[in-house]
Amino acid sequence: MIVVESAGITDVGRRRTKNEDALFRDDDVRLYLVADGLGGHQAGEVASRLVIETIRGCMQEYHRGAHVDTFEGYDLALSDEANKLLSSIERANREVNQRSSQQGSYRRMGSTVSAAYYCNDALITANVGDSPIWLIHNGGIETLSVLHTAVAEQAALHPGEQTSLGPEFRHVLTRAIGIEATVKADIFEVPCFAGDILVMGSDGLSGKVSSEEILDLVSRARPEKACRLLVDLANERGGDDNITVIVARVTALRPGARSVMARVWKWFRKGS
Amino acid sequence: MPSLSLRYEGEWVNGYLLKDGTILTIGRSKSNDVVIENRGVSGHHAKIDSLDGRFLLTDLQSKNGTFVNDELITSCWLKHGDVITIAKHTLCFDVTASEASAAAPADLSERTLIMDTDDYQAMLAGSYSKGAAENIKKEMVGVLSFMTGGGGEFRLTKKLTNIGKGSFNDIVVKGFFVGKASASISQRPAGYYLSYVAGFSKPKVNGKAVKQSVKLEDFDIIELGSKKMQFMQKPVYKK
Repeated sequence: MIVVESAGITDVGRRRTKNEDALFRDDDVRLYLVADGLGGHQAGEVASRLVIETIRGCMQEYHRGAHVDTFEGYDLALSDEANKLLSSIERANREVNQRSSQQGSYRRMGSTVSAAYYCNDALITANVGDSPIWLIHNGGIETLSVLHTAVAEQAALHPGEQTSLGPEFRHVLTRAIGIEATVKADIFEVPCFAGDILVMGSDGLSGKVSSEEILDLVSRARPEKACRLLVDLANERGGDDNITVIVARVTALRPGARSVMARVWKWFRKGS
Repeated sequence: MPSLSLRYEGEWVNGYLLKDGTILTIGRSKSNDVVIENRGVSGHHAKIDSLDGRFLLTDLQSKNGTFVNDELITSCWLKHGDVITIAKHTLCFDVTASEASAAAPADLSERTLIMDTDDYQAMLAGSYSKGAAENIKKEMVGVLSFMTGGGGEFRLTKKLTNIGKGSFNDIVVKGFFVGKASASISQRPAGYYLSYVAGFSKPKVNGKAVKQSVKLEDFDIIELGSKKMQFMQKPVYKK
């Protein structure tokens, strides 16, 4: 049984008039979501909120006992739980895609999504777009998301070379929720340890604060304070975009149905 | 607004306007924006995407190809005066003088646009290419070679591979001190990591016990219970 303590803030930033980011966190279901909407007029806000609502709704259905066996895109490389998250993301994509065709002002609306879900001593992360997910473990910080941007994909194809894309490509995404009928998320499953800290955000954060700074700030403060410090730092440095951050700490990993032998040995080792 | 003039054997047939933010499709099928009913034209032959004032022509793997200024292309950014040839028809791409100067890339920092990954891959592969270039993406997969108990290999195709005594594990390892759920190997953006999960016996990598997690490098030797295995990443060729 994993116990998580979390906090999260979403801030409009210093330059924008509306906030197209959305976040969701639930320490009981242990599900954390960040969505950064895009599209004209109100479309961005509509898209990001729809993504959150849909994924939250699907995961709650699974939590109540729904099965994932009938999911068409079931990926054998992933556990059942990871497939639940994957199917929720695909459902969100369909919802946004359908809604975008219903109204002129919603045309080509979309959103990024970054999701994290704890279960069975594992942390499952999934993302579409450029909202980052980091894992702090044992004093180090690791990125558990893949950047779906034009610049990052070019760098992956031509490692070590300078990008030939101009600065106008800085925010160009290669994948987003809702733009096409299907979407492919990047998913990872990693074991979870007490003391691990998860940090999720929108690019309004990653664009202004480096991962070293995140490691430093988050390791030294409790989740709520850490969120505040990160948002303030991003704002101090311009706050050009909406800023969203979630910080979640695994405070305990209570042994579940561990074998009797393991418990005996643990007691035995305590003395040595 | 840029335009396309469709001609057949020099004779003007039709004109089309290219609106920014739209996709213009060309082909024999009636569902296309530009319908060319002619032998040699595929049902869905080509398309033109617009990305903030610039237009990208992409061949949709047509049978007879798409040419720009008589060169076979897969994907290419269009400029004023370019002549697109599809079978026996030509499409002339025109941008008026006043529009040409205004076509400088706008500041995209306020918006986030999407580029279809396939288009983007084609663009990266080169604007002009002879013949249909196939995108072969090289991916690596982790493989464990067993050095004990008869050899054999295990491909780490799952994102999280569970190792332990319990029969539910992906790799079952015997040993008195090995936990039911003993260790796991996770595939992450940075590579493969081996983690110690539970049990009295900890896995060893190159002789050193793993207390929590360690990144695996090629030729690392992993020992757990009765099993000894070598880790390596091998390429998997995908289209």
